[in-house]
Formats: sequence, structure tokens, C-alpha cells
Amino acid sequence: MTRAVSAAYTVPLFLRGEVIADDLVSFGTRDGAARFQAPDMAKYVERLPLKSPGEMADLYDVSFDEILDVLEALGEALDFDSNTHLQEAYEASLVANVLPAEMMRNSYHVLRPIFSRQNVLEVADTQVGLDYLNGWVPQQLSDGRQLRVRAFGSRVLHIPAGNGGLVSAVTILRSVIARCDTIIKAPSNDPLTAIAIARTLADVAPNHPITKHLAVGYWKGGDLAVEEVLYRPQHIEKIVAWGGLASVKHVTRYIQPGLELIALDPKRSATIIGAEAFADEATLRDVAQRAAIDIGVANQEGCANARVIYVLSGTDDPGLANANKLGQMIYRELIALPPFISTPPLYPDRDLFEHLETSRMTDDFYRVFGGEQREGAIVVSQFDEPVDYSPMLSSRVANIVPVDTIDQVTRAVNAYSQTIGIYPESLKRQLRDILPLFGAQRLTSLGYACSVAVAMPQDAIEPIRRMCKWIVDEECDPGVVVPLWRLSQRRDPDLTPAG
Amino acid sequence: MSAPTTKSVTQFMDDPINFFGQSYTQMHTIARAELEELQREAIGIRFQQHHQSIEMLRKLADRLGITELGQFNDVVPLMFSHTAFKSYPSALIDKKRFDLMTKWLDKLTSYDLLSVDTQGCNSIDDWIDRLDEQTPLQVITSSGTTGTLSILPKDKRGAVEGMVLWKICLFQTFGQEPTDNELNPSVDVIWPNFASGKLGHLRIADMIKNGFTGGDESKFHPLYSGSVETDLMFLVSKMRAAASRGELDRLEIDPALAARKDEFIAVQLRQPQELDAFFVEITEKLRGKRVFMIGTYHLMYDIAKAGLERGVKNVFAKDSAILTGGGMKGVALPADFMDVITEFLGVDKIQVGYGFSESSTFHWACEEGRYHVMPWVIPFILDPDTSEPLPRTGRQTGRAAVYDILLRAHWGGVISGDEVTIDWDLQCPCGRASVAFERDIIRYSEKQGVEDDRITCAATQEVHNEAIDFMKGLDL
Repeated sequence: MTRAVSAAYTVPLFLRGEVIADDLVSFGTRDGAARFQAPDMAKYVERLPLKSPGEMADLYDVSFDEILDVLEALGEALDFDSNTHLQEAYEASLVANVLPAEMMRNSYHVLRPIFSRQNVLEVADTQVGLDYLNGWVPQQLSDGRQLRVRAFGSRVLHIPAGNGGLVSAVTILRSVIARCDTIIKAPSNDPLTAIAIARTLADVAPNHPITKHLAVGYWKGGDLAVEEVLYRPQHIEKIVAWGGLASVKHVTRYIQPGLELIALDPKRSATIIGAEAFADEATLRDVAQRAAIDIGVANQEGCANARVIYVLSGTDDPGLANANKLGQMIYRELIALPPFISTPPLYPDRDLFEHLETSRMTDDFYRVFGGEQREGAIVVSQFDEPVDYSPMLSSRVANIVPVDTIDQVTRAVNAYSQTIGIYPESLKRQLRDILPLFGAQRLTSLGYACSVAVAMPQDAIEPIRRMCKWIVDEECDPGVVVPLWRLSQRRDPDLTPAG
Repeated sequence: MSAPTTKSVTQFMDDPINFFGQSYTQMHTIARAELEELQREAIGIRFQQHHQSIEMLRKLADRLGITELGQFNDVVPLMFSHTAFKSYPSALIDKKRFDLMTKWLDKLTSYDLLSVDTQGCNSIDDWIDRLDEQTPLQVITSSGTTGTLSILPKDKRGAVEGMVLWKICLFQTFGQEPTDNELNPSVDVIWPNFASGKLGHLRIADMIKNGFTGGDESKFHPLYSGSVETDLMFLVSKMRAAASRGELDRLEIDPALAARKDEFIAVQLRQPQELDAFFVEITEKLRGKRVFMIGTYHLMYDIAKAGLERGVKNVFAKDSAILTGGGMKGVALPADFMDVITEFLGVDKIQVGYGFSESSTFHWACEEGRYHVMPWVIPFILDPDTSEPLPRTGRQTGRAAVYDILLRAHWGGVISGDEVTIDWDLQCPCGRASVAFERDIIRYSEKQGVEDDRITCAATQEVHNEAIDFMKGLDL
């Protein structure tokens, strides 16, 4: 880690408006080569958290209108063609990420609309409530007490996922909306996007409280010299951890009273297609195109991508023929997707493609479309079970499972499920009260699995509400709310011990 | 002894033991060019035979348009990965469709299995028994990560040959022609494992018993009595797969297996006493005797450590045969583990072998620590990602693959998960003429830091306990 070799690029530390690129150490990645250098966080970790939580007071001097102004200016400055910070992040992501260039570039074009006035307002109002964010919301309880509730920001550490720039942008958006003090641990597979957004923020709003409550830096996940110092209740109150089991496991050891984990766990998604898909050729083509999109977007690297696809085709000969036809059509649509949406994987999973080749030879049980160039493939089971290697499905490989009855499709859903893409809508309505019991968190129209909005719950929780501290101010008039001291006087109990 | 060149390629490929006069020295002194000529001819013939008799190979070859093998590298596109031997849907076992399992296995072996009667077959072990009774096969199973067991269609003839080969490699000295005593050694067998079982390497217990003691139970000394059920191991594989899918709540346990819960728990409870009894037997009955003992580094170390803790050391005769290996497979052993093993055993030499389940035998390490490849095995170094063969010259590091000419019951071309090095131009100072794998061998899965939860023979006992612990927690 401390080899001072020539690294491809530098990941500076963004410390509340200040950009630091000193005390650099190199970081290797899976192939052992040094990929980037970053300041030795052990030397800066003391400066990452706020000295005192009282320093968050300045966030409450900022009106929400001003927040909207700053974020809108940020969004406008996040123009890929003119923003050098973003261009630098893009160059770095080409080295760090498994996704190809067109797709990475496209992921920066989605940043701007995220920070638009309209989007920020919608997210803030639907996911928290503007009244709660901006003041005390009064309410009278049945016992007569006056409640006032307000959503306060907290000191939050984020460990975002690195697949695409969107996650970094959403992380910053949520934090600013909730008036949090924010520390972001940049992901190694997208180390510069969050920093690029932070530096752009510092450009458009220098010395602004929002800028001063943001720190972004890189350290290796599990680095005790950093984490044991930082992950303490006196420095941070909540940790928002995305992605891989390993990263979440690192964090759990620090969880204690006063330090809460908001886990956006690793998830898998599935697809359910009704018999209506086979109504006619045009419908089938539409369904194939929608399914191909759900599989192919960003090369199936995301948690929302389709993987196992249950199809109510039936398992008799005509049913299997239909399932196979759908498999072939999805494969054709998959490889025809434009490169900014999907390409053959840059780093196909060797083990997975070995399994796929074996399935191809086991044609009593499986039919395989494509995959010979590791470009992606569709495996169609010739009976009602997914392939045994279904947890490995990635690199644009999906498995179609034909089933006879609707009872069988609940098998598509389990404790690790996130999105279930369903066709048609009538089937979705039929399933929406039962699938959540098995673990489904989001049901969506086929073809929209990876078209994710921010103004809705994620992973069956409401992250921004969880990032807030919900503070209560009670006003109790003894004339209305019966006080405990009067309760004891009125009863006049005999307190002398018996006997 | 007559020169090998005058003998036929048929004997080389079908009876290499006698082709080389049962001599370890001859196996490793045949000139490379001469050997390669024999190998090239043999691989072409074996391919034609297996193209006829193994459907899975025929389909692959036909799809790739391969009709004959001329050069060694021609076989590389036809090599099977480890996935080939577990390509059946695991649901077939859950649903006890052993008729379809047989049909699947038929496509992987050169023997005709279609007349096998699986009527009433109720478990994997039951099915293996049927295959044992009704076919030339003696299948070997091992568990993997995807909820399935690998099922290798090995045959009985190969099992017998395998033990003869072990004896040749264990007891002979390179550079000297074998003596009668070396060809027919008298030893007690120490088997630090369960006494029997159809699962994976436990099957070797019976082979060793027959091969080394002529079936004499009094000379066979297992650590634990009883066997490990393949069906129990299948349950462990399924548990792991269910856990990785987030579906442990849906795992259904076969009622036939569940009914035997108490029996399995009793086996587990007996283990500590059996361990004590094992050391008593070693010290009282076997001290100073010539033995053959086989086990992975991990297993050997555990036994040695337990022995030393009981004050048992230098137990066996100096000329005993000890075989170990198996790589470290993610098991952390202390730096002095070999000293611990040596102190306990008290023997002159401990031999190390490298191989994988798909192969016909191990490749024994020489005095220089290189694993010399047996003459009927053609090694390849492949690019780890693309599986393209690397040049057969100079020093090459990559993914190990072999074509094993001696394998008759199943196709002999397999790609491993191991990173190995071969120095193709090296003439090893040990004097053996054969090509050799260098000492350092590591699984790619370990190298990448990926959690490798394959159940290996080294972890048999632990895994066994894992399954029983799981059943204990269930209301069956």
C-alpha cells in the first residue's frame, strides 16, 4: 500500500471546502497494480469529523429556498462537457470501473437533472416532508398535549456503491436535503465522482455551510487506523452502507448504542412474465425488448437488473417452445442494445461462462442462446427450476424458468430480493400483496427495473427519514394533560408497609 | 527389460504399468521426444474411442468441428471444466429422479448405463450402490459451491490400477529397479478419517484396504468408525447454496435423512472418545510398525498435534510410507506444521503428491520439490482467463490443465482451478526426465481472495458436523 510508484491518478481529500493532495500513498486493486494515490487518511482522520455537533447550527441558518438555489447551481455546473472535475472523474473511472467508456460517460449526464429545483423539492417533500425539514410541525394528541416534531440532520458517514456516478450524487442530495453533516468514503471502483461533485459545490458555493458540512476521501475499507478512530458515537451518529457483504460486515463491528447502521444491502432482482406475453408476435417482441433492457442496463452490474426470469408459459411441449422462442428473442434484443446502455462485459465471469458452456452440453435440461463469445446469453431451463448457479448470474447472462402455475412464481422472491419486474400490469396487481411477504421490495413494470427514481423508498426503507433525527417538543398544560404528581395525590395511597 | 519403443502404443495407453515394467524409474526416464510421440498417437486413438462412446464429448467436438487430434494443443478446446461433472439439475436428486441421473451420467461415461435399474432408489448412496452392482463404474463424488455434488464416473479397473500405482510411487526408489519387497510391501494402513463412505475421498478407504492389506480389516486402522453419507453432504451443499440465495428458510430436508437424525448425532458425540481410542491403538499396537498413512497437510497436522499433546511421538517405523499434499486450500497452518508432523510420525520421509479428482493418479514430488508428471498424463499451461494454451517452451505460469490418457471411463481432458508453473526446458537435477510442476501451486480462487467454500476431503469431519448441527436445530 505504501509503494510510491507512479499511480494512474490522484484521489484528493475534500475536507469541508479544502482540497488536500499531500501525504500521498498508493493503492493497489485486484490485480495488484497501483491504480491511484490518495492522502494517507491516518494523518487526516482527526480532522474528518466535526469538532462539536454544535457546529451544525449554521445549517439551520440556511433556508430551504437557499438550499434549492445552491443545489440548482450545482446541477447546472455539473455539465460534463465543461466541468473539468467530472472529466477527471470519468478518466479515472475508465481505469477503476468494469463498465465501458460510453456507459460511464452517460452516467455523468444524469447528474444534472438530479439537482434540479423540481426534483429536489419532490424528493424532499415526498421522502421527508418540507414542513418537518424547515420547522416544528404541530400536532395535538388525544391526551391533550401539544406536540411539535422536527426532522434534524445528523452526522452521517456514507459508504456508497461505485457502480455509476448516480449513487454519489444521490448520497449528496439526500444529505443536503436532511441538513446532515456528511462524510463520504469514496468507493475504489468510482473514487472520484463524489469528490468531483464536492469540488463543483465548492466552486459554486464557496464557504457556504452546505460546502463546509461535506467531506469526501478514500481509505481502504477495513483500515483500522482510520475506522477505529472515526466510527465512534462522539463523531458520527449514522452510517449509510451500500453494497457488498464484505463492506457491510466491516461496519457492523462498530455499531453500538449511539451509532446506527442504515444498510442498503446487496440485493438481487427477478422478473415474472405472464402468459399474456405470448398473445401475438408484436406483444412478444415488446416483452423481449423490455426484458432485454432489464437484463442489459449497465451490463447487469446493478442490484435492480433482471437475472432469473419466471415465465408462465407452461412446461408442456408448446409451453417450452414458447419459453425457448422468448429466450431467443430476448438474446437478440440484448445484443442489439446500444453501447451507452449495454455492451459485452469487459471482464466476463469465467466461472459463470464455464457453467454456461456445460449447460449448453446438457441439452436435456437447458437451452442456451448466445454466450460463445462471452457477450451475454440466455439460458432457458427445460423444466420448472432455475439453474443451480443462479446466484452467479451476471455479465449479461439471464435464466428463463418456465412454470405452469402462478403459485410457483413466488419462488422468484427471497430474503435477498429487491426489484421484481412484472408483465403485464394485471399480473403485478395480482401479485403485489403476496410477493412482499417473501421479500420483494419494489414491483415495477417490465422494462423499468433499472429506471430508478429517487423520490421513493429504497430497499424497503425510507433512507432520508432514517438519516434524520426526529425530535419532539412537547407542551403539556397541567390543566389539560393530567400530571403524574396529581395522580399520586388524588389516589392518596397508603404507603406504610403492610404488617 | 525390453526397450519401451518396441512395445505398442496400445499397451502404453491401456496398461502403462506393465508397459513400464512396474518400474517407477522407467516411468520417469523415458526420453521426452519418444514419450511425446507415444502420447500424440495415444491421444488421437483415445479421442476416437471416446468420440464414439461419450455423448457429451461428441457433442462438443461436433459443435467445434473437431474430428481428429494431431497436435497436443488440439485437445484444449475439448477439455471439460469442473462444471461438466455437476451439470445435472440438483432438483433431480431432491425429486429422487435417479433414472434421469443415470441418463445424465450415461452421457459422461464410455460405459452404457441405460439398462441400470434405479427402481425404488431412495438416496444418492443407494444410487451409487446400484451403479456399483450393475456397471463397471465406481463413481466418486465431491461437493461444490452451487448446491450440487460433482459425480465422476470412475471405474473399478481404474481404482485397482490406482492403488498399484500408489505402491509403485510410494515404495520404489528412483534410479533403482523394483524389488519383490517393494512390489509387495507389507504394511498396516493408518486412515485418519471415517472408516467408509461413498463420498469423495472416503471411497479411497476401501481401495486402500484392498490394495495395501488385501482386504485384511485387522491391518486397517481408521480414526472414526462408521461412514459419511453422501446424502448428508448433499444437504450441506444445499444449505450453502440456499444461504447464498437467501433461501435457508425454504430448505427442505429429505424425510428419509431426517429420520436418521439421532443416528448422525450419535456419530458426532462418539468422535472425542474415538480420537482417544485411535491414539491408544497407535501407541499400543502399532508403535514401531511399518505403516502407510495418507491425509492432507491439514489432517496430518491435526492428528500430529493431538498426538503430541498426548505425549505420543516417533510412532512408526522409519521406512513407513506417508503421503500428504492437497495444497493449503485456505487453511491457515503454523509455519512449523511440517516439523510437528515429522516429530509425531518419526519416519524417514514424507512424500507429497499433486493431482485432482478427475485424474488417474497423483504426480509425486521429487527431492527438489517438483511434482513430476506421470508419463500417460499430458500437462498444459493455459492462459488463466482465455484458456488458450501457452507455449510449451521456457518457464510458463498459468492455469493447469491435463489430458490423462489412462482414463477410460470418462474423458481425460480437464481444466483445473490451480495456478501452476512448468519450466518446459528444465532437466530436473533429481535425474527424472519427465516434465514437472514447480512446487508453488495455488488455487485461483484463493489468489483472488474469493471465499472458496468448496468442501474438500480435508474438511470432511467439520462439514459433517456442520450438517448435523444444522439438523439438531431443526424440529424434525
